[in-house]
Amino acid sequence: MEEKTNHSAPPRFAVLQLSGCAGCETSLLNANEWVDQFDLVFMPLVVSAYEVPDVDVLFISGGVRSDEDLYNLKRAVKHAKRVVPIGTCAISGGVSNLGNRDEVRQLFMSQEQRRELPRLLPKSQPVDAFVEVDLYVPGCPPTPELLMGALLDPEGFSASSIVCQECGRKKLKDMKPEHLTGFQQGEVLPDICLINQGYLCVGTTTRGGCRALCTIPGHPCVGCRGPSNNLIEKDSHAWLDGIQRVFAAMTEIPEDELREALVSPQLALFLFQFSDYSGSQPRPKDKVL
Amino acid sequence: MATLTFPLSRIEGHARVEIEVREGRVISTRFQAMEKRGFHLLVTGVPAEQMPVIVPRICGVCSTAHHVASVKALENAYGVTPPPAADTIRELLLLGQILQNQATSLFVFTMPDRLGVDSIFHVSQDEADQESQFNIARRALKVRQLGTDLISLAGGQFIHPVKAVVGGVSSGLDAGKAADFRKRLQDAIPIACELVEFYWEISMAMRERIGTWGDDQPAYYITSTEREDPRYDSSIIRVMTPAGECCSEFNAAQFHEVLTFEETDYSYAGRTSYQSGVMRANSLARANMTRSMGTKLADGFLRRLRKEFGHPAHPILLFDLCRGIELVYAIERAEKLLEIPLDHADTKVSYTPVDDCEGWGLVEAPRGPLIHHYMIEGGNIKQGEFIIPTVHNMLAIERALRVAAERYISEDSVNLELERAVGRVVRAFDPCIACATH
Repeated sequence: MEEKTNHSAPPRFAVLQLSGCAGCETSLLNANEWVDQFDLVFMPLVVSAYEVPDVDVLFISGGVRSDEDLYNLKRAVKHAKRVVPIGTCAISGGVSNLGNRDEVRQLFMSQEQRRELPRLLPKSQPVDAFVEVDLYVPGCPPTPELLMGALLDPEGFSASSIVCQECGRKKLKDMKPEHLTGFQQGEVLPDICLINQGYLCVGTTTRGGCRALCTIPGHPCVGCRGPSNNLIEKDSHAWLDGIQRVFAAMTEIPEDELREALVSPQLALFLFQFSDYSGSQPRPKDKVL
Repeated sequence: MATLTFPLSRIEGHARVEIEVREGRVISTRFQAMEKRGFHLLVTGVPAEQMPVIVPRICGVCSTAHHVASVKALENAYGVTPPPAADTIRELLLLGQILQNQATSLFVFTMPDRLGVDSIFHVSQDEADQESQFNIARRALKVRQLGTDLISLAGGQFIHPVKAVVGGVSSGLDAGKAADFRKRLQDAIPIACELVEFYWEISMAMRERIGTWGDDQPAYYITSTEREDPRYDSSIIRVMTPAGECCSEFNAAQFHEVLTFEETDYSYAGRTSYQSGVMRANSLARANMTRSMGTKLADGFLRRLRKEFGHPAHPILLFDLCRGIELVYAIERAEKLLEIPLDHADTKVSYTPVDDCEGWGLVEAPRGPLIHHYMIEGGNIKQGEFIIPTVHNMLAIERALRVAAERYISEDSVNLELERAVGRVVRAFDPCIACATH
């Protein structure tokens, strides 16, 4: 093994976990390249350390769910040259946004507070509701390649524009379903586009870079990477219209049936993923990996 | 009165330990889970058939167990039985989970305690005397990667799998990919055994240094693996007395008749008990409650455990050694399963969803029996309940913390070894806070 001498210290990075599932951290553990190139100084999942020291890059996963999350977030960013939220929860709310519905929130706030513990905030919020962000890495979770791209060469890294480019299932002109196929029902034919088979797949408008891990084995894309660059700076209606146009061109599914599916709880799955991309604060596309 | 607070790292999620001391006497030891997202509430109104894709997000470490438990709960509700090929692919998924989790717990969470470093990523290449440790860290991460790759192979997505569906799995396994992966598993077996040997040695050395295996008092044990050999795709939960007798057998729906669940005011996670007794789940429970592992090398390690520590064995640091046995088992078992051709189309049966129904799903997660319980109305979730294995261990964790606190706190001083002891005790149980609080 070579002795490493006389070179400048490797850049330092930290991973701050707010309220989330640790899936982003688990993904990072699968990308071992940083072991050689970066000095990981803070990541409570794998390192015993209790304060975020000065770092070049700060990854943040999870949403801001409690006053402690907010405190830790504000304190940590002061020590970071680049602030990079990773994963859907930190960027657009993710699955936790299902809990932001009023009827759920009321139960949550009344049942779950504990006096001796961090106080729960009224809603789960994304990181950029509170601090300036340098780069977003969406995905649930982002693949190790995306995390490495963000760490090593964010300018030089480019992902496919949409999931379809990585999926490889063929779109057929003469296979036009008349109705939506139930969420998990029916046989999935190999190699043929899931939309041709009536599945509500949103890969056509979802940002690529995930290696199409869900659609290749036959599960419709749920949009965890967020809208593609064409849509990311527009509100969520533009995104829903985009999906509608794809289905109008590729299927005979009545517009009403699709519209109802898109706005009804049947779509809870990706409404929660996207809910916070809309309106008030669109993320500029040059900041999204 | 003084309160000592210990923040925790190298476990999943946010937790801390509080120890109350009065005049040198330990008044209480509390394990506090510090976060809450509220999945039992936020799934309300969600279409039931979407649960298998939503619930893996409870935890990125235990996602596979939630994915399969969810599908099983829906199959129970709809009265669907998956074909044998689907069962095999699901078993591979759960083996991938065990392999990934036990490698993480052993090498990333607890090995630093034995080596006296803050993290295996801080075992430096530049320091010659640590070169062997560095190589061990590298190989440990490679073995861990196999678990993730097995989850991807059997489950599609690598963290939050998608391939288990109501009625089976969405597609089979490509024969070529299965054969390649089988080869990787074969190559990994000797490496895994060496790592487990090394871990066993450094654990014995630590035992010499600190003079204890931690809380070695008897306890009840709980698992949902089978009597003869471990199967994580389970149907029955068993409880064993401290003396080693099976005292209760029940299915997931009978959970509340047999076990007591309660909330506390100092933690966002609840706790369960068996007839007010302290209960332990996770690797040591499984090792105590199986006749054998059913694979050659893992059985060698299990015999060694029983020879050295008896049966049932109680000291808590043995949880870690048992994870090593399961790591070897998972590789051996997955290697054997991949001999079976799984590339045929018969991986799924059709079904008719029922609008109003109730379902229970059970799997043995790395931390013990995991139950999903759904009340479904009009095709949507009316109420979701998640019974989490870490919660079965809460009383056992707190009792073990008390043993450590009483060992290191005396009338006139606190031995600073207590801080390390708290970390070792909690990590022995490998609690998962994201799951426990969901």
